[in-house]
Amino acid sequence: MFLALVPAWNEERRVGETVRQLLLHTDCVVVIDDGSKDHTVERATDAGAIVLSHKLNRGQGAALETGHAYAREINADLILHFDADGQFSVDDIAPAKKFFEARHADILFGSRYLLPTDTVPWQKRQFVHPIAKLIDRLFGAVQLSDVHNGFRLFNRQALNLIHITQDRMAHATEIPALVKHHNLHYVEFPVQVRYDEYGQNARAGFTILKDLFLAPFIK
Amino acid sequence: MLLIFQILFSLFSLTAIAAVIHRKHENLLGIRGALFWIVFWVAADSVVWWPHGATLLANQVGIGRGSDFVVYIALALIFFVLFRLHIKIESMNRDITQIVRQEALDTQKDIVKH
Repeated sequence: MFLALVPAWNEERRVGETVRQLLLHTDCVVVIDDGSKDHTVERATDAGAIVLSHKLNRGQGAALETGHAYAREINADLILHFDADGQFSVDDIAPAKKFFEARHADILFGSRYLLPTDTVPWQKRQFVHPIAKLIDRLFGAVQLSDVHNGFRLFNRQALNLIHITQDRMAHATEIPALVKHHNLHYVEFPVQVRYDEYGQNARAGFTILKDLFLAPFIK
Repeated sequence: MLLIFQILFSLFSLTAIAAVIHRKHENLLGIRGALFWIVFWVAADSVVWWPHGATLLANQVGIGRGSDFVVYIALALIFFVLFRLHIKIESMNRDITQIVRQEALDTQKDIVKH
């Protein structure tokens, strides 16, 4: 079974359309509602998704791991990480899956930087991305062209080996670090990312750094 | 003037030591924690009653004034305690996530059953 995992927090405006679009490309869509205060659950359910509801907001990493736990329970063969906010294009799913299977990879990471046309804002390309890359390197992640891209494909082996412990955004560094740790076969694939008001600010960057630094000390 | 401060500080530290012993008896504090806080308050009292001692100690480690030495030690301790607190909070956060996750998965199972 090909399962799409969609973490969502207060995404009532876009989650319904995202689920409907995903259902055209996957067998099942699981929305992990991360303590939303709006109508995210109703919109996702009406659109045909299975909804796992966090009673409290725990962060995107925590929501993805809840999706992983569900995927392990139902023995999913393949899972897709996909944002609820419409940042990604469903048109990338089929070619990414084809590429992933042809390369017999365990995990696929989407990348904005592999696209033939440059759509990344210059601030991100020149400042944010080099810092994020350096942080990934410091914390033992595999080298990726796009370090914080939420479009990912996992096969069953990767799903069983990768357990996300970072509740917030540091999971984006933890996952490639676990790929290296478990010596999984990974590939990168160009995917579109639409830019609105989204993205990480400097404070979020410091939170990621703090989370990564504290992680080894937490039992 | 100094004597009033010394007396007030000593009274405060005695109260703190009594509270530590009480918490140890109530099993709210381990033996290591209790010893640490008793030593801490006794050391603070020693410095208050014998300021020259802090200067002697400071000179041993290359710091000029005893009060500077006390401030450095206090800062280091505060940073350490803050770090420990951060770890504790993050650890509790992870526990909360586990509970929230399990509840989300169990609720989904219940929905499928009915």
